[in-house]
Amino acid sequence: MGGGGNQIVTGTGFWSMGGYARYVWPCFAFAGMILGWNLWSARRYRVAAQLRARRALEAAETDRAAPTVVTIPRTAGGKA
Amino acid sequence: MWTWFYKLASPPYVYGTAAALAPWFLGLAAIAIGYGVVDGLVFAPPDYQQGDAFRIIYVHVPSAWLSLFAYVSMAVAAAIALIWRIKMGHAVAAASAPIGASFTLLALATGSLWGRPMWGTFWAWDPRLTSELILLFLYVGVMSLRSAFEDPARGDRAAALLALVGVVNVPIIHFSVVWWNSLHQGATVAKFGKPTMAASMLWPLLSMALGFMLFYGAVLCMRLQGEVLNRERQAKWVAEAIKS
Repeated sequence: MGGGGNQIVTGTGFWSMGGYARYVWPCFAFAGMILGWNLWSARRYRVAAQLRARRALEAAETDRAAPTVVTIPRTAGGKA
Repeated sequence: MWTWFYKLASPPYVYGTAAALAPWFLGLAAIAIGYGVVDGLVFAPPDYQQGDAFRIIYVHVPSAWLSLFAYVSMAVAAAIALIWRIKMGHAVAAASAPIGASFTLLALATGSLWGRPMWGTFWAWDPRLTSELILLFLYVGVMSLRSAFEDPARGDRAAALLALVGVVNVPIIHFSVVWWNSLHQGATVAKFGKPTMAASMLWPLLSMALGFMLFYGAVLCMRLQGEVLNRERQAKWVAEAIKS
């Protein structure tokens, strides 16, 4: 791949991009940011969902393990 | 065929498949993007008219293609969810929207940075640019509409309808350069017959496009896992999956 007739851009010519550096490099930098953000946010979203599911599971297990306590409200006369 | 189709509707199957595919997609995307960046920035020759500024296409074109691909994927998933009442379709649509929106933003920003030296302006109300901007608004609209309802099922349905209505914008974006007078250049790669681009410039572009698609696949799988867990939190299989 890459075909024939390739030229290798080297040295300062590479970084200056033929005078278009201030347009070319921000594009690649922004692309890197978008790729990075997508990866970070997708992982964060998945981890948060796993954490919520784990908490829900723990809460359900705690509810099952705990004895049922019925609270009887006191009446105005002090008798239950 | 239908067994396979209904298997796709099963949340544990979707969760497991997404978990298995994500690392493969990500690894292959890293290889394709790595090759594309090096070949595109170092080995591809400068364009005879645009000089080195043409190298912007290596991020602009793949992100523009992906913005359309992600929208069509979202609309197809929304249609499946509405027609066959498959709730995993809503999960795929919800997972696809933020990825598509971010790549639409990238396509607009890189196009703008390319436009400054080539057209002399960062922005023009050109048919291609305007329709791509509408695509970004559609993505934002779909995401906002989904979260605007207290009942998630109603939010899903409303967002799916908007996604389906908005799909009319996709051919408009594609053919805008043909139907109207546009500053934007016409198709160079996706032309029937031979692309009007030298192979040494074309290969890195195709590699970047493939890499972006694979990256979309990887991130979609990761987001989809989160979506499935959020929607199926009370299901028995989730408890087993979390424990393991």
